[in-house]
Amino acid sequence: MKYKILLLFLTVNIIFCGCNLKQEKDYQGNINIPENGIVEKSVFSQIQENNAVVTFSGESNCCKYEWTVFGDDIENPRDINLAIEITEEPEQVLLNFQSNDYFGFSSVLSIHLNSVWDCQSAIVYDSENNAVCGASVTGSENTILNYTALQTSGTFCIMPDKADSSQINIIAAEEKEITTENRISTTKNNQQDDYLTPAEQFSGIAVSGENNDNTSNNRIISDGSQTEQDKYLTDPVPEGKPMPVEPENAEINEQTQYTCTFSVECSTILNNLGELNSEKLDVLPADGIIFPATEVIFYEGESVYDVLQRICKENNIHMEASWTPMYNSAYVEGIHNLYEFDCGNLSGWMYRVDGWYPNYGCSRYQLKDGEVVEWRYTCDLGNDVGGGYAVTGGE
Amino acid sequence: MRDTFSRCHPIINFLFFGLVIAYLMFIMHPVMLIISFLSALSYAVYLDGRKTVIFCLKFLLPTMLTAMIINPAFSHEGITILCYLPSGNPLTLESILYGISSSVMLGTSLLWFRCYTIIMTSDKFVYIFGKIIPALSLVLSMTLRFIPKFKAQFEVVRDAQYCIGKDISDGSIFSRLKNAVRIFSIMITWSLENAIETADSMKSRGYGLKGRTAFSIYRFDSRDKSILCCLLFCGIYLTCGILADGLKWRYFPSVKGVLAEPFTISFYIVYILLCNIPVFINRKEDKIWRSLKSEI
Repeated sequence: MKYKILLLFLTVNIIFCGCNLKQEKDYQGNINIPENGIVEKSVFSQIQENNAVVTFSGESNCCKYEWTVFGDDIENPRDINLAIEITEEPEQVLLNFQSNDYFGFSSVLSIHLNSVWDCQSAIVYDSENNAVCGASVTGSENTILNYTALQTSGTFCIMPDKADSSQINIIAAEEKEITTENRISTTKNNQQDDYLTPAEQFSGIAVSGENNDNTSNNRIISDGSQTEQDKYLTDPVPEGKPMPVEPENAEINEQTQYTCTFSVECSTILNNLGELNSEKLDVLPADGIIFPATEVIFYEGESVYDVLQRICKENNIHMEASWTPMYNSAYVEGIHNLYEFDCGNLSGWMYRVDGWYPNYGCSRYQLKDGEVVEWRYTCDLGNDVGGGYAVTGGE
Repeated sequence: MRDTFSRCHPIINFLFFGLVIAYLMFIMHPVMLIISFLSALSYAVYLDGRKTVIFCLKFLLPTMLTAMIINPAFSHEGITILCYLPSGNPLTLESILYGISSSVMLGTSLLWFRCYTIIMTSDKFVYIFGKIIPALSLVLSMTLRFIPKFKAQFEVVRDAQYCIGKDISDGSIFSRLKNAVRIFSIMITWSLENAIETADSMKSRGYGLKGRTAFSIYRFDSRDKSILCCLLFCGIYLTCGILADGLKWRYFPSVKGVLAEPFTISFYIVYILLCNIPVFINRKEDKIWRSLKSEI
């Protein structure tokens, strides 16, 4: 009799304990957007209630698109038309939102293109051709555009960011798809480019303002003659790219201040939510941006790592790095509690300076005035953020 | 102190330690860890009195403190940044809490194993597994008993050497070293010989042969039955609790988990019951013994 009562108690408890626990943030998979595009209120209120993270995916003219919705962003659930009509043209994408007003919550829109864009970032323009915001360009095989949609009605156009100094990178140089005119305009628009990229050298365009006036730091530009690995196992640095400066040789001069543009983002995780360690959903920013592109001050002779460390401290962003003597550099394990291997076995942090992913550690990259530093999270060994060559050595 | 639990059927003893140590390893919930730690400590003190206290102060406390400090020094995950270490990495609240939890877990497991070596004597172990896996159970019981036996024999040898004036406590460093090496050599010889002798002795008695029976005084009586029911109930209940996420607790990136939900509290109660079964049995037996004594 005693045991029967105990068993009853047990079964009742087990039935209820599953339902009574508070819901954690939880990735609940993908929902297909229905034909007419309208997702019902009940779906959204359920997402809100469960504090779930859900992707809504749809397809238009062979272009897949995805909305990543975080339950805690939803305030007033209602019927929402999530459908978009997408027209993909070379070097531009036209979006026509079927919804008539703002969703009521911001959500990241990911557009899976059927082509590859040779650019580092893209810009979203509205129907009057005003730039609205930037979009990040990721994707291993085909380009994926990610941006936070703050306006969800009318038509928009996304184009590669031509003014971006990093538009011409090594891959572009090999493929030679960009017209000479484009290149000239790029060079003109670009006050940041203070070294010759291979593309410019091949086409024989002289870059004016090859400024040596603020180069009192001791980094030198690679002439491409290197054939062997250096003593820290770094493959030859491509021609035109800065050679590593060993941190022990760098002299930091706090008298001279320069500025660089710095950003930290992890939008690739939003495209691979299924792989993400579910405990980390709490720290994943809904828009994928941890530190928006900001002009920051650094001192002469500082490396990318020094600046990252200072910015994280100043802005109270968590960052962990470990010193790796073999590569004579710090290795960034995690930023904002998003660590390497948190989103699949091929994930981790990479950095890009002026469109190039250096093939050496961030403590050995000495910064120059006006450079654009981006820290990006990769889920595919760099291939999805356009930096696979830095990991595999171009093989 | 008389321990009634050790006089229960070996299967009960083994099942108890199996359950307690398994739950200790799989549940990182802080309340559960504290319950297990206090139970293990109280039982170890009950069994071994002063020796346990000395063990705790001399060995357990330093080990736990080291484990506690090492974790935040090498793990920097967590959203609450307290300050920055000289290496430039943050010191986080979460890594400190995790360090404390894991050190409590380590200490608790040492205490449970201390109780295990006292309760699960090698004859009990061989009784349970002798029939199923004779060779392995002999090897296991020999290895598990090796360190305590080695320690005891070491003291004997050291005393003998002390009597003939070849001690490690005085003389020049060189002669001390020489004596230490000799004692160590004696110990190695003894342990090898002892192992072979044990194996030979078991073999000559036909250990592991088909049809061989072994004498045992263990009887599965009604008391054992009720304890077994209790153990199984606690085991199933807690396993269901783990599977239903009723004891979920995470440390990274932020500390989060179920603490005071009504059903979680029921798991705490069941866990207290499970961990303290030997103490309850002993209490009950003591009471009976006292009342019998007073009647006389």
